[in-house]
Amino acid sequence: MDLEVFNDPEIVKKLSETIKNKESSRINRTVKIMHICGTHENSIVRFGLRDLLPENIKVIAGPGCPVCVTSSRDIDAIIDLALSENVRITTFGDMLKVPGTKLSFQKAHSLGADIQMVYSIFDAIEQTRSSKKPNIFFACGFETTAAPTASALIDLDIPDNFFIYSVHKYTPKGVYALLKSGKINMDGLILPGHAATISGLEVYERFVKDFGIPCVSAGFEAADVLLAILLILKQINSGTPKVENGYKRVINYEGNKKAQEALNEVFFLDSAIWRGLGEINETGYELNRNYSRFDAKKNFGIKYPDNFIEHQKGCRCGEVILGNITPLECHLYAKRCTPEDPIGPCMVSDEGTCKNWYDGGGIE
Amino acid sequence: MSYITLDHGSGGKLTLELIENVFKAESGLDSAVLGDIAFTTDSHSVKPLFFKGGDIGKLAVSGTVNDLLCVGAKPLYLSSAFIIEAGFEMEKLKKIVKSMKEEARKSGVEIVCGDTKVVENGKCDGVYINTSGIGKIIRPIEGKNIKDGDGIIVTGTIGDHGFAILNEREQLNLETDLKSDVSSLTDLILPLIESDVDIKFMRDPTRGGLAMCLNELCYRRDFGFEIFEEKIPVREDVRVIAEILGIEPYYAANEGKMVIVMDKKDEERALDILKSNELGRSAVTIGRVSSKNPQLVILNTKFGSKRVLRMPTTDKMPRIC
Ligand code: SF4
Repeated sequence: MDLEVFNDPEIVKKLSETIKNKESSRINRTVKIMHICGTHENSIVRFGLRDLLPENIKVIAGPGCPVCVTSSRDIDAIIDLALSENVRITTFGDMLKVPGTKLSFQKAHSLGADIQMVYSIFDAIEQTRSSKKPNIFFACGFETTAAPTASALIDLDIPDNFFIYSVHKYTPKGVYALLKSGKINMDGLILPGHAATISGLEVYERFVKDFGIPCVSAGFEAADVLLAILLILKQINSGTPKVENGYKRVINYEGNKKAQEALNEVFFLDSAIWRGLGEINETGYELNRNYSRFDAKKNFGIKYPDNFIEHQKGCRCGEVILGNITPLECHLYAKRCTPEDPIGPCMVSDEGTCKNWYDGGGIE
Repeated sequence: MSYITLDHGSGGKLTLELIENVFKAESGLDSAVLGDIAFTTDSHSVKPLFFKGGDIGKLAVSGTVNDLLCVGAKPLYLSSAFIIEAGFEMEKLKKIVKSMKEEARKSGVEIVCGDTKVVENGKCDGVYINTSGIGKIIRPIEGKNIKDGDGIIVTGTIGDHGFAILNEREQLNLETDLKSDVSSLTDLILPLIESDVDIKFMRDPTRGGLAMCLNELCYRRDFGFEIFEEKIPVREDVRVIAEILGIEPYYAANEGKMVIVMDKKDEERALDILKSNELGRSAVTIGRVSSKNPQLVILNTKFGSKRVLRMPTTDKMPRIC
């Protein structure tokens, strides 16, 4: 298998030595490199990559976990619906334990709400075929899952009782807005390996132009991630920030045109609440008029409380997601907040930073 | 208000807490050691009931037999209690009973008593089986005197059972001859117990896998473990499935393997004994006891980095045993 190359210990060691001896030693300050993909965090933790980097190179996890940025306003709304109407809610397993302001899906389920875990939108549609009640798919995820949602709605023969509650979000604009507002800062950005297959790389040119940030796409093997870090450091040292493709075997610059067309056909971008980060313009995928027959928000008259405030109960996920603190700096981490009894969403999803750290970070 | 969730049965941290806080019991050993008698019990549910390499019947016998071996006992007698769902096919039941008999014969135990309950359709997943077992202690192995430098041996590849089941259940349709390793280990482990090698501790790493097994052993103790990724035997197909599902093999259940903490001086001899049996061909030392990081299992990756292998908290694997 050719993936082996990217996990070859020799290659990985060479990369980490080059980073240490050639590039990082030329920089006399701390360099903050952010990634925005939960799967990258998972690789970094699983391969112990932070342990292979020099002191002054910090890799931080940005807003890369779709479950983590799903607003509790939406979770509350769909759970209320599940408890008050004869409907079935389907969603991804990651979502089940995420607390809303009152309940999580799992707790609502034990109170009698009909909530089923599914693996994909296709699975959700299949389940609907054998069900008599309205089935609402709580559609969470970035471009990578929004695209299959879009193509399913375009291509498939869908039963009348199937609906969608979209909390899909568009990453590049979200991260751009956060940078612009000064909420996050970084010296380099590792572009998400999955999401960028859809969006392509061009959308990130603005990051270089407006903020001078090196942007490099990366895959998920150990060598992939280190390579991206090396390329970023090289750009910093040469003073030529640019968008660079470090994951050519999967990503191309234009992205997936067909998927982009499907997204444009089915969705438009509206402002969306990102949990812990607030409302960001043009980052929420909402169903276009032609597809509004699927829209659970419209068809079930979903109402939101005025002046909604996210209750974080001492949880610092917002800061974790922005990369401003590590989970270790949250005093609830591993004490009151654990994967089995999570306080915040970052401790729930396998893509959440707190969960990743808890399950096996470096040595504390 | 708190409720029992599936995670309480996952064999992970929540299970431990349940045992401590609600049952007010200690969850130290796989069997109770009562003078020269070992006694244990285990309930089994698995989906699918029949899988490549075995079925729930074989699992129910070997699980209890292996738990007896863990404390240094020769397994002798089993009971078996069935909870069967109304509507369950008779032919399937016969098949399960047959494989229980076969496995009992293979492991040198007799099934001496039993019970059957039938519950309403929809009230259980086909069939659940509880087996209890009695064994005669050859020499008690109770996890005492574990010290710096003791070796950690696994008797073969890890994750086979968990991933074989997942491969079938998730219909990954991978072309592989991977099958569950479910097997009673009498032939493999009894010679070791009967020899004079200094065994400090044994456990079959079932639910929660190797990660759970080691974490549980150093929980609230003054030692931890250093293990080495490159030494841990994992089948290539298991590696691939693990990669696809994003679940590490360390967390996957095994039903025919043993983790053994062995005094360093006897390690080689122990490995020789294990390797002379087909079931222990790829037995190997994967790491050592270390007092440097008490209560932690440190995994040295093949890249030379270190990370903590945590106790699984929520169920990493869908429920498989
Ligand atoms: S440890 Fe828990 S409470 Fe703290 S930031 Fe993470 S999810 Fe929130």
